[in-house]
Amino acid sequence: MVELHDVSFTAGATPILHHVDAQFAPGRFNVILGPNGAGKSTLLKVATGTLKPSTGTVRYDNADAASWPPDVLARRRAVLSQHMELPFPLAVEDVVLMGRYPHYARTPARRDRDIVNQALELVGMADRRQQIYSTLSGGERQKTHLARVLAQIWAGDDASGPRYLFLDEPTASLDIHYQIHLLDVARGLLADGCTVVAVLHDLNIALRYGDTFVVLSGGTVACATDRRDAVSRELLEGVFRVRAHQIVDPIAGRTLWEFSL
Amino acid sequence: MLKRLSNRSFHALLAVGLALAMVASASIGDFVFPLREMARFIGQAFHLIPLTTADTLDRNVFLQLRLPRVLLGTVTGAVLGVSGTLMQGLFRNPIVEPGLVGTSAGAALGAALVFVLGGKATLAFTAPLGSAAVPVFAFAGGFAATVLVYRVSRSFGKVNVFTLLLAGIAVNAVSSAGTGFLSYIARDPQARNITFWNLGTFTTADWRGAVIVTVTFAICYLLSVRYGKALNALMLGEDEATYTGLDPARFIWPLLVVNTLMVAMATAMVGVIAFIGLVVPHVLRLLKSSDYTFLIPGSALLGAMLMEIIDVVARLVIAPAELPIGIITAVVGAPVFLGILIRQQRRGGGAFYG
Repeated sequence: MVELHDVSFTAGATPILHHVDAQFAPGRFNVILGPNGAGKSTLLKVATGTLKPSTGTVRYDNADAASWPPDVLARRRAVLSQHMELPFPLAVEDVVLMGRYPHYARTPARRDRDIVNQALELVGMADRRQQIYSTLSGGERQKTHLARVLAQIWAGDDASGPRYLFLDEPTASLDIHYQIHLLDVARGLLADGCTVVAVLHDLNIALRYGDTFVVLSGGTVACATDRRDAVSRELLEGVFRVRAHQIVDPIAGRTLWEFSL
Repeated sequence: MLKRLSNRSFHALLAVGLALAMVASASIGDFVFPLREMARFIGQAFHLIPLTTADTLDRNVFLQLRLPRVLLGTVTGAVLGVSGTLMQGLFRNPIVEPGLVGTSAGAALGAALVFVLGGKATLAFTAPLGSAAVPVFAFAGGFAATVLVYRVSRSFGKVNVFTLLLAGIAVNAVSSAGTGFLSYIARDPQARNITFWNLGTFTTADWRGAVIVTVTFAICYLLSVRYGKALNALMLGEDEATYTGLDPARFIWPLLVVNTLMVAMATAMVGVIAFIGLVVPHVLRLLKSSDYTFLIPGSALLGAMLMEIIDVVARLVIAPAELPIGIITAVVGAPVFLGILIRQQRRGGGAFYG
């Protein structure tokens, strides 16, 4: 459980978050939604412990996140951002090994190497482990980083206990295959109690994968719910400044949204 | 083929190369010492073998001139190699080396200040520093230049390449203008000092200088080699490094200080030597990997090895006189570097590394 209580954040003189309360439950896929500039990325940075809130508290299972040493936090909490450029050539497995950095001092143990291999296996990149990162496609790069963050908080590891995975618009610029693959892998972590928190842009994907929803608008929480149907037409139209109407997928019977200006 | 070697085997290979280069450098020069003779001199130095009067001159040349020079050259090469690696890692940029960022020029200006104004009233406060004044001023100059360029080129957790280049050019220009002014107002021996020093030279090597640089390097190396993982994580960006538990705020400044300290100390002893810091990490990146846990020890070994080879060349080209080291590193280093770049461009379709 990650709990944000009365969190405000001000950058210089610009207020970005005002009195935000949010709970991200273990074993659930927690989604943060909101238009550009609503403060989603800032909220995620505060929740991951990267930014200190100006006021309010962030608690990880009743411990004040700010009190954890960075390496202790890093063994339980991993963050996947949008895809990244590396300034120098590195093999895929070397990038994934970075996920194990909080777990060893100088040289990786046999176990760290094993976890790297298993993580590569899990994301379907095992045959690419020797390939140079910069030669990968955007989708493969993001798979590499997914393997890296999975390796960082690998289940049954020395830090047994709660684990937290944060995804900051992880599917931006990925094609639909890679989007679904990434989110399926992330959902796979829920079974053993990992808390997954994702900032997502595609509302239909968000509603399909999410269990709980925090909708941000102008730095405040417009809606926090664990019911899909609470994300209503009025809410979406007001927050995203669009016209929305519902359609029903004739095969799976799921509700989909169609938007126009 | 080399890529398949483990880090340890690769380092061992480099160490063998370095050992050979050091032996060659100890043996070749104005005086040539065969292996057997070198062994005897070293034995005599440790009083394992009785002294003979017939070869006193040779022995003194070998023990008092040649050996400290080999040590100073080796360690200076290691300093420049490691420094290039650390700076490329810190700036997350392949073009950075102590020369480009202004570390060397700033250190040179600091040292020139002491050379020229050391005896004057303006710098009378340096008197208590004695012979340490040169390294201290070199460190201050190098550190100021590095920090200035780093601060200017870094914004929002990223280093901007163009700002970095421009800031480097500006800082270098100001520093060399300062050094130029000092050599203009200097009396002859001081001015010659500065000229020599700007091109780098090992001719003034003695045991005292060699030991100071060696001890500084040993300490700085042991401090920096622990940051291999941190520099790797920094490749992902400052936020990402924090997510893996390695907070850049905690390691960037210590590394900048350690790096400048060893460069300033070496620069204070031997002057400015270009290109080693740039070429060494790139050769290793191309031969094997950009993993900093490999690069830091590797660049110490390869930098030292290259420096010994270049020093031998410097002694042979216009023997019995010898060339300043900086001329050879630039003349050899620049084309080699351009060659590497062109090969990579062709192979990699335009990217810096294919």
